[in-house]
Amino acid sequence: MTTTDQPSPVTATAPALEVENVTKSFGPVQALKGVSFRIARNEVVGLIGENGAGKSTLLKILTGVHQPDSGVIRLSGETVRFRRPQDAVANGIGVVHQEQSLLTNLSVAENIAMNAVSSKDQAIRFGVYRWRKLNEEAAEVLNRVGSSIDPRTIVSNLSFINRQMVEVARALRVDEVTHTTPVVILDEPTSVLERNETEVLEREIRRLKDIGSVIFVSHRLDEVLRICDRVEVLRHGELVAHRNTDSVSEDELFHLMIGQDSRAKRHSRDKGGHRPEPVLAVRDLTRKGAFRNVSFEVVPRHTVAIVGSIGSGREELCRAIFGTEPFHSGSLLVEGKQVRSWSMREAIGRGFGYVPSERRVEGMVGGLTAAENLTLTHPGKSRAGLVLKRRARNDIAKEWFERLDVRPRNPGLRLERFSGGNQQKVVMAKWLTAENLKVLILDHPLRGLDPGAMETVAAQIRAASDAGTGVVLLADTLEEAIEMGDEILVMRDGEVTARYDLSVEAPTAVDLLAKMV
Amino acid sequence: MTETKPHPEAGAPTSAPRARAGARSGLRRRVELKSVGEVGALIVIIIVFAVLNPGTFATLKNFQTILDQASLPLIVGVGATMVILMGSIDLSVEGVMGAAGMTFVLLSANSRDTVDLGFFAVIVAIGVGMALGLLSGLIHTRIKVPSFIVTLGVWYIGLGVATLLFGEAAIPTLNSESLKLWPSRLTLGLPRSFLLALALIILGILITRFTRLGRYTYAIGNNEAIARDNGVPVARYKVYVFVLAGAASALAGVVGSMQLGTGSVTVGIGTLFLTIAAVVIGGTSLGGGKGGITRTVLGVLLLTTLNNGLILSGVSPNIQSAVSGAVLIAAIVAAAWPYRSRLRIVK
Repeated sequence: MTTTDQPSPVTATAPALEVENVTKSFGPVQALKGVSFRIARNEVVGLIGENGAGKSTLLKILTGVHQPDSGVIRLSGETVRFRRPQDAVANGIGVVHQEQSLLTNLSVAENIAMNAVSSKDQAIRFGVYRWRKLNEEAAEVLNRVGSSIDPRTIVSNLSFINRQMVEVARALRVDEVTHTTPVVILDEPTSVLERNETEVLEREIRRLKDIGSVIFVSHRLDEVLRICDRVEVLRHGELVAHRNTDSVSEDELFHLMIGQDSRAKRHSRDKGGHRPEPVLAVRDLTRKGAFRNVSFEVVPRHTVAIVGSIGSGREELCRAIFGTEPFHSGSLLVEGKQVRSWSMREAIGRGFGYVPSERRVEGMVGGLTAAENLTLTHPGKSRAGLVLKRRARNDIAKEWFERLDVRPRNPGLRLERFSGGNQQKVVMAKWLTAENLKVLILDHPLRGLDPGAMETVAAQIRAASDAGTGVVLLADTLEEAIEMGDEILVMRDGEVTARYDLSVEAPTAVDLLAKMV
Repeated sequence: MTETKPHPEAGAPTSAPRARAGARSGLRRRVELKSVGEVGALIVIIIVFAVLNPGTFATLKNFQTILDQASLPLIVGVGATMVILMGSIDLSVEGVMGAAGMTFVLLSANSRDTVDLGFFAVIVAIGVGMALGLLSGLIHTRIKVPSFIVTLGVWYIGLGVATLLFGEAAIPTLNSESLKLWPSRLTLGLPRSFLLALALIILGILITRFTRLGRYTYAIGNNEAIARDNGVPVARYKVYVFVLAGAASALAGVVGSMQLGTGSVTVGIGTLFLTIAAVVIGGTSLGGGKGGITRTVLGVLLLTTLNNGLILSGVSPNIQSAVSGAVLIAAIVAAAWPYRSRLRIVK
């Protein structure tokens, strides 16, 4: 099979996938307002859009999770209707989900076999597994994507890149069923991967082109440009543009996505004047098995970025500072005074805020409305004594929704129904509403956010910082740490191995990495 | 669009994929390693009681008694393990045992009526258990009531059925002496009740390791939503497992009735606690997805041996249940120690 650079196929064969005028609403929210596009055989198409632009909805329709309100989907010219995810698989649409969809307690081979259409499957007959055959088949499938993972490995023992490879291999398997060009959908496959792992995956995706068509969804625009032949831009439920990747820049894509010029410059490091008194001083803080003798100071209007790999103890350190986990020795000085008993309650009372990395588990109460979540910690005017005032609460929420551009603009909706980026904005706002926010501890605040949401959240962090808050940041990437930090602490195995004052010298990512391992 | 899994950290060097090393016999070896604790505990208990009770504990006769006592929780444990692996729970055990046991006695030659179906009485009794399991499974999956609540209800439905069958006439007793003695008869030196349990255990292990039903049980227990996205008909397989568990409980009810020689509503009394405790002590996670039947076997043997040893050592039966409870808590604490800080709510 040859690949063509021609974006619109004038060939005799019908496009691999054709979507025509698809709409979908959830209650009053119109997620897709008539989306149409087509993908040629062996074409790699990027799909980009902000959180809440409708990407997820579109993908869910293509994979049979949701059914469109109206519109038509055609595969190789034939109209198809998916009632269940299995229908999509049976028609040759494979998907690699953004959140991993492997069953972690089962083996790789089982996971690969799981999605296969059973009648075609020799390895499972009458409900009985023939492990040898199953493992052989899985090895073969993995081999196609150039992976040499042992199919007997339990998934929870695999690294993230290998899990992703298993997902890709599995998604590709759909062509065994249909014997046509498979359409493989990759939904932000790189968001959980490290940079060097991403390169491996990128290579594999480019190889997929020879086997089938690919829809690639990602937040990282540079990646989209490298991998894809063509890009479709989704904004507010509509496809607003499509571009060939050889004739478009990252900036232009960003603008198309956001619809406005909002990319802010790197914040100025010149804080002017003398260094203010530290709001928090950490002295020789030790927690056995997690971190040892950590000392640093958090100064108003400054950001301390802590970098380190897994096991460096920086997460535990942050939780200890916020009082959710104990420490064994050392002391904390808040505004110069040593604290006696330290707890989360105490910390909040002293103006500390903490945005955890696992916001679904630790940072939010999904079953409460966005407005309730927002005013949970610092009720402000929304509470008088024991009485909660709904109207005041909604006023506060409305204001913050406006300020942080949370979509949909409905604070009365349960928080779990918002997309990830918008959830993060609400979780942030919960602390930002505090009148005396002194220290804000952020554990991977930008993880998994699209560029637009990232910009908004980063801007809020800067605004809080400018207003006099000291920030402790665990960044997603070293670049992010260098960009946002005023001081960088490097941790390894629970100890601080280096510190950089960025107003004096700016380290490179390589410098930091050298101290981390 | 959040990720709920742990992530590799910023800029962290890629941890070398552990996939290759030792993956060959990875699954089997790990299971064995994790069970070392339980096997060790069992051996320690046996040694301690053997020393405390010279001449009474470590005898062939006593081990046969232990295996006979273990047979009921072992039979029930096969079903209970599968239900728990799925992340659900089946509390209806004692009710199902009562209903099935009563059915069996009344349909066999007994002092109350003239009906005698012979072996078919066992089949019908198991059918009663499967029907109750089906009821639990259907209500749980169709009406989406938590299994905890449903099976609590079905427990009492089972007891109600048994009480109704018991009626107000004289207690029905089994006529056939050989039937009453069947469970404790020895074959190859082992009580038949235990051999029956052993057969069921082997069947259960084969099911959990080599069939779609078994593997899907693990899949559902790991993450129901992901299993569903992977094309697992979650509701259907849940019902299957509940039916299977109902059948196992019913069989235990039949064997228990033979041991008693009479029909009794409360033939299953105490079995629920013992079984669930054994499943948990064995190391099957109440959250689902982790564990297996072999571990439950160890758990049952551990608890039964402990109970037996306590009686022989002259410990008052009144204290025994307290000791069992303490062992349960200790085992759970030990098993969950590494996860204390992040214990999540059990389905």
